[in-house]
Formats: sequence, structure tokens, C-alpha cells
Amino acid sequence: MSDEPVLKAVNLVKIYSDGAVPVPAVRGVDLQVEAGEFVAVMGPSGSGKSTLVHMLGGLDKRTSGEIWLDGQRADTLSESAWALLRRKKIGFVFQFFNLVANMTVADNVELPALLAGASTKEARERRESLLDALNLTGRADAAPAQLSGGEQQRVALARALANQPSVLLADEPTGNLDSRNTRDVLRLLGQVHKDGQTIVMVTHDARVAALADRVVSLLDGEIVDDGRLSRPRRRTVGEVIDLR
Amino acid sequence: MSTALAGSRWIRADLRARKGQAILTVLTVAGIVAALITAVTLLEDSTNPWRGLFAQTEGAHVWLYTRDNTAQLAGVRALDGVTATAGPYRSAPVTALQDGRREPASLRAMPAEPPQVAHPALAEGAWLDPAQPDGVVLERSFARDLRLGIDDPFTVVALSGQRHTLYVRGIADSADQGFYPEWTPGLAWVLPEALDRIEPMLGRSEWVTGLRLADADAAQVVSQRVVVMLDDKLQRLYTWREIRAAMELDNRLLGMLLALFGVVGLVAAALALANAAGGRVLGQLRDLATLKSMGFTRGQLALLLLVEHGALGLLGVALGTVIGWAAAVMLLGAPSVAPMPVLTIVAGTALVVLAAVGVPAWRGGRTPPIPAAPAQPPSGHLSRLARLALLVRLPPALVLGTRDAFTRRVPAFLTVFGLAVPMMMITIGLGVWATLDNFARNPDQVGQHAALQVRPGKLDPDEAARLAGADRDVAAVYPGTDVNALAPGEGRSVRVRAVGGSTSGRYPFPVAEGRMYAEPGEAVAGQGLLDLLGVKIGDRVRLTVGGSPLIVRVVGRTVEPDQDGEVLSVGLDSLAAKDSMPPEYYALALRPGADPDEVAARLLAESGESLEVQAAVNPAERLAMIRVVIVALIAVLTLIGLANLLTASALGLRDHAADLAVLKAMGLTPRQVMATLVTGTGLLVVLGVGAGAAVGASVVTGLIDLQGHTSGVGAGIGRPPSPVMLGTAVLLAVGTALAVALIPARRAARAQVPITAR
Repeated sequence: MSDEPVLKAVNLVKIYSDGAVPVPAVRGVDLQVEAGEFVAVMGPSGSGKSTLVHMLGGLDKRTSGEIWLDGQRADTLSESAWALLRRKKIGFVFQFFNLVANMTVADNVELPALLAGASTKEARERRESLLDALNLTGRADAAPAQLSGGEQQRVALARALANQPSVLLADEPTGNLDSRNTRDVLRLLGQVHKDGQTIVMVTHDARVAALADRVVSLLDGEIVDDGRLSRPRRRTVGEVIDLR
Repeated sequence: MSTALAGSRWIRADLRARKGQAILTVLTVAGIVAALITAVTLLEDSTNPWRGLFAQTEGAHVWLYTRDNTAQLAGVRALDGVTATAGPYRSAPVTALQDGRREPASLRAMPAEPPQVAHPALAEGAWLDPAQPDGVVLERSFARDLRLGIDDPFTVVALSGQRHTLYVRGIADSADQGFYPEWTPGLAWVLPEALDRIEPMLGRSEWVTGLRLADADAAQVVSQRVVVMLDDKLQRLYTWREIRAAMELDNRLLGMLLALFGVVGLVAAALALANAAGGRVLGQLRDLATLKSMGFTRGQLALLLLVEHGALGLLGVALGTVIGWAAAVMLLGAPSVAPMPVLTIVAGTALVVLAAVGVPAWRGGRTPPIPAAPAQPPSGHLSRLARLALLVRLPPALVLGTRDAFTRRVPAFLTVFGLAVPMMMITIGLGVWATLDNFARNPDQVGQHAALQVRPGKLDPDEAARLAGADRDVAAVYPGTDVNALAPGEGRSVRVRAVGGSTSGRYPFPVAEGRMYAEPGEAVAGQGLLDLLGVKIGDRVRLTVGGSPLIVRVVGRTVEPDQDGEVLSVGLDSLAAKDSMPPEYYALALRPGADPDEVAARLLAESGESLEVQAAVNPAERLAMIRVVIVALIAVLTLIGLANLLTASALGLRDHAADLAVLKAMGLTPRQVMATLVTGTGLLVVLGVGAGAAVGASVVTGLIDLQGHTSGVGAGIGRPPSPVMLGTAVLLAVGTALAVALIPARRAARAQVPITAR
């Protein structure tokens, strides 16, 4: 398991052909993410980073190329098979939190666990421990609309982690937060990463990306830079934010 | 299983979050189902009154007539399945004299204390009282036919020829026999002493016994055993089935109308539901996408939505059934509610509900799983209509509203369609109404040129004709005879109506196709007859009248409301002399504006009560029930239309919640914002109502004619609703719709709309 990458993309291409002119969003990306790695995908707007992450999670269909997840080929799966795969192996965190508005925080976190086959009791226990770890115990019965943006994103994180996925895909998780909440969410991401969680995070913020082990830069749908950050990182911006 | 658990969690949360909307959906469906059930039950009751009467009078299932009331009857009472008996009552045949008519009647002796089983249900007046030995209670249809009221004298002639005058004390309903005059003799109840006085001879009377059974279906078996047991003592016997059949109205027209309305009402209800569910799904696209990103498959999501919205609909069906059932029971009494139509409605609506929410559920399941895309109206550019509005320099609120109306094509279409269908049905309903009005106003168009028919009775036919022709309000007198003719290859007879001359003095039949007959040997026929004999206009028909052949060429088709249209009309001179002379009756065409009742009374008076005068019954009167149905259905259709409208305006508001802030920021006043919103819905309303009315008006004549064709009356009776009626309906619909759209629009325009990212 450890010698095999958790997530692998081979010559991944996405071309949007809705309009009259086909628009290539991702053009031939090769990417390997090892277990326990924290990869930040950076790039300006429209560089294809969100599309890449969506394809890696099966939310968007690739035009060509291969996707391997835990050594299993995933790009050929049907939509339903992708859904079943997502239940156990992929956790998603979105820029706009995307909590189910009608459900309480507790229900939002329990839902993926229930979906993956956990019993009501297991789901509740898992939810309690997750909310506990994320300092949200008191808000379990609140509606998402009653929470601040940072709290919502923490709940979304708890929901994504509910099934201990092989890989956590985060699409601009701090894009909609102020600096204080950004710091909180990043600290949590750092914590789960330390616990061995594999993370792929899209961001356009260099300070956020600095938290990662590795930064992949995208431009016009192609990887232009793939660099490992040296450890220990003492004066990275992420650390600075963390310390404040 | 895991999905079921997670799904139920989601459904619960969603329903909790939109209690009001969910309740509205349930209530709309419940209202439609309740209205359908009530309408069908009431209609069933009025077209088939037996069930109600039987329950009301605790009627007997089997009636038997015997020569005497000997001990053998006790054996009948002890038969298996017989729970109670009525009688035996002594019954004597008499002839009732009324307005120069002699009608067969049967006097039945009943005690002053009405019996438990098969007790007549008093509709007017009081029951028999020993203090008034000359009192009589008449069965209601008999009393109506004789035009008798409370305290009127009722003269009967016994078999001995002796006259007796009784006085009507009461009028009662009964399920003992069918209605007069379809079922003869007419039924009258007197005290046993009165009967002894009128008909002292026991040999001239018979004994009537009613058996109430534990199981109505056992009537056949029980009656067979009665026949075996009583043998030659039994004179005749009939069961509730014969009575029910006799009481049944020819309700094909009503049935078809109701079926048509019911089906279209269901379609409209389905549209309302699909619209509501579809609107909800649109509002939830983001949540649905999130669910997919968490691992719900397309099918599971569709199933989830189907279960949620379907459950609401089914709950509505259940609630509506309970309400409709309760209303029917309250109006008619429990035992008289027929279960079969109710079950059919429940099953039908349940299926329709599931089909209606199936489409939005399927669409919801196809939501792309990327939740970041917020639910925005798909098209941002101005629609062609909006561009046109800009070109003609309409106010901005109007243009923006026009643009809003079509940003979501499918819901816009559903709204227009959802309003057009009820409006179309309302137009058709109004057309049926107009057709009935036309029947009533122009009886000559349904073959009732003659408002009265006189039979010579005791008078010489020529004398009768002279008397009738001498009346100042009689415009024309047509001698006529109705005979039964055997049709070749048909085991049944058809009616041949010979009236007027073939060349001159022709009776003006309303010929819808072909031409009127012009010489002896030519005939016109109703659609029913053409269908029965399989002939076309121009064909020759050979019938047998009283042994002699009648060969005529059918040259035209008439509008024929009688006998399911199975009537052949000829001139009197087409018949053989033995059948046509003397004429059986004279058909009297009155001068315009003359009152048939007045003329009838005058003729009776002049002839010294010797003439028999009958007024023609207009089909519109027989079909009066349709008008009630039309009013009820218009109410239901309005409800459906309103439900559609509320969904549309709610969806419109939701789509434009964010725009409102922008509009205000751009400098639109609250009034203009309101106008924008109302225009958005109003335009759809005008389109829907206009389209519905146009389609309805264009198909209504054809539909009624089609119905006329199948019921034998024949095409050519349909009338579209009058322009004034239709215009009023359209204006009312649009006005109500705008008023309804105004309320939420007003609130939204005045509300503070926060500008937020979604």
C-alpha cells in the first residue's frame, strides 16, 4: 500500500465542449499523490485546478486519461460506481461549505457515515468524536445557517472525514473565510494531515498552500511546477498564521 | 439499507424545513381527491337513486306476489338468509283518474304504524292516520306524474267500476319498485280498512311480501327457492336488481362528461403536483449535488425524491379520500356510498401522483454532482419576447418581467400548460352549459318543434284535431303515430315515428346531414338507428310494421334525443293506412312565446277533460344534473389552477430573490419591482388562460358532437360558449390570477433583500 500512490492521474484531459468552441480546461496532467501526502494545487483563476480536483473525485467526467485510486482504475467507472466509491474513499470540502441547509449539524456529519453503512449508533458516536475534535460539540443541533462561515467549514470538514476517506479533496476550503477562520480551518487540516490523512487542496492563496508538503502549480490546464517544500518549515506563512 | 437510513434522515429534515409548502401540497391533492369522490358519489346517487332509497327505507331485497297469505308464506320467511320480512300486504289493482288520464295504480294496504322493513320514506305530508280513513300516501314519482300534491283529491276506479275519491295525505319515496311511468302500476298506500271498502272482493287482490336478506347477492338463490316452494301460489317475483335497473337513468352522457372532466382534472392535478415537486427540486439543486458528492447515486437520489414527494401526494390522496368519504356519508348516509367508484378514484389518483412526481424526481437525480454551481436561471440573455418589448419601448418593469417569465423554459411551459388545461376544461364546461341552454331555448333544434302532444282519448280523432287547431296559441297541428318496427336481423324492435305529411305539412325535423324527406317512401333517422342497422344516408331500409313491410330510403340524419337515437322518422303517409289511420296523437307546435302549460290547461278545459295532453320533456331538463357537475368541476379546476399559480410565483420569487436587490440598487421603486414580479407571472397566466380558452372553444363543439354521436343523439348539437360568457370567464381567471400573484410580489418588493453570496 505504502509503495503505491493513493491517487494517480495519467495524462488527464478535460475539454468542455458545451459551447460552439471546445474549451480545454485540463490538458494532460500527470500527478501522483502518496499516502499521507498533503498536496496543494495552485494556480490563477481558470487554470483548471478546480476541474482537476472534481475529476479526481469523480464529480466531473474526464475527456481522456486515467485516474487510479488506491491502485484501482477509477476513470472508467460509471456515475453510480463513482458515487459508491466516493462514499468510502473520498471526502470533499467545498469553498461554499455546501452543508445540506435543512439538516442540523449532527445530521450533516452523520449522513455520510450512514450512507457508508454505519449503524445509527456508530454514526452518532463517530459524529460526537469528530465534532468534539473540531470544537463543535455545542453546535450539534444548530442549523447550518446559524453558524459562522468558519464553523460551517469545520462542520463540512467533519462531514468529509466521517468515513476516514483515503483522500480528502478540498476545493478552496478557505476561499470564503476571513483570516481568523482561515487559520482555524488550516490548523485543523494540519492536524488531520499529521494523523496521516492524505489531502489534495486547491487554493490560489500562497499562504494557504505553504501549509502543504508539496505544491503543484497549474497554468492553463498544465502543471508548470511541482515542488516539495523543505521540512522543517520554520518561517512559512502558514506557520506564522498558525502562531498568531 | 444504508441509503434508506441516510435517505430517510434527509427526507425528514427536508419536510421539517418546508412544513407550510408540504401541507399546501397535501391539501391541494386532498381537495382534488375529495371533490372528485364527492362529485362521483353524488352523481352516482342521483343517476342511480336506488342505493340511497334502499338504505333510507331499509328496503327488501326480494318482492313476491301471491294469491293469498296462507301458511306457506311462513316457510318463505324461514328460508336461509332471510333476516326480516315486510307484509304480506294486501294489494288491489285500480285505475287512477286524473286530468282526463287513466293511469294504472295498485293500492297497497299498510298499517298506520309503518313497518320496520321497507317502510316508505315520507317526503311530504304525513303518514296514514286511522282518523282519516280516506287518506292515501302516494309514491313520489307517481304523484309527480299525476301532478298531485298534498290534500289533492285522488280518484280511483275499482275493478267493479265504482269510483272512490281519496285525499293525498303524504308523498313518500320507496325502493319497493321502480319509478312511474317506467314501472307500472303506480304505487299508493292506504289503510287496510280503506282497501276493504274500495275492493271488498279478496279474489281480486293479491298479497305482497318483501324479504330482506342478510346478503344482497343471495337474492337470486333465495328467489329460486321461493319459486320452488310456492309453486303455483306465486304470481310474480322480482329482486332489487330489477328495481335498481328500472331506476337507473340513462346516464351515458353524464358518465362520459364526468369521465372526461375527471381525467382532465387528474391531468391538471398531476401538472400541479409535478410543478410543485419540480419547483422544490429546482430549489434544492445545490443540496442534491452535495448529496451526490457524498456518494448518492443517480438512481438513489431519484428514488429519494420520488418517495418524498410521492408520500406527500399519497398522504393527500388518503386525506382527500377520508374527507370525500365523510362528506358523501354526511350527505347521503353511510350505506349509500358506493365503494367501487371511490376505490377507482383512489387507485387512479395514486398512480397519477406517482407519475407526476416521477419526472421531477428523475430530473433531480440527474443533477450534476458539482455543488459549487449555484442554482441560477440557465439563460441570462433577453428572450426574443423581451427584446420585442424593448423595441416597442415598454416600461422597464414590464420588460424585466417579460424577461423573467421565460428564463426557465420548462417551468414556464409547465405553468402555461398547467393553467391552460383547467381553462380549457372550464371552457368546455361552459360550452356544455351553452348547449343545454340552447336545448332549452330552441327545442325545435332537438326535434321538439311541437311542445305538446294530445291524444284523442275518448274523443273522435277529427274532433280532437279540430279542438287543438282552434286554440289561439297553436300554430300547427301534425297528426302522428308511433309504431314499433322489427328490424331485419335484429332481435329487437325500433321506434318508427310517423308524423305530419311527406310532401306538405311536414313536421320540421332538425336535419343535421342529408336532407329532409320530400315524398312518401323517404325517411330520416337518428344516429342511433343508423349505427344499429349499419346504414348510411341514401341507403334503403326494410322494416316490418305489424306484419306489413315498410321500405323507406333514409335521406337524412336528424338530431334525435329520444330512445338513444334509435328512431326512424317518416311522414304519416309513408305508413300503411291500417297503421296510420286514425292518428294516435296530434303534435302541436305553439306560437312563439306561448306557455305550453297554459295551452294544455285550456285544451283540457275545452274538451271537458277528454283529451290527454302531454308536454314534451326537454333533454336539458333531464340533464339538469350536468349543470351541478359543471359548477363543481369549475370550482375544482380553479383550485388546481391556483395551486399551479402559487408554485409558479414562488419559483419566480426564489429565482429572483438575488435580482431584487440589484433591481433596487439600480433605482427601481418598490412599485416597479412589484410590477416586474407580477408581469413575470401575469404574462404566463395570460398566455395559459388565453391558450386554454382558445383550445377549449375550438374543440368544445366537436367534443359535444362526438359525445352526441356516440350516445345516438347525433352530431350537430354542440354550441361553443357565448363570447360574453367566455370573455367574462377569461377576465375573471386572469384577474384572480393577478390578484393572487400580487400578494407575494408586494411582500417581496417591500422586504429588505440582503445581498449575499449563496
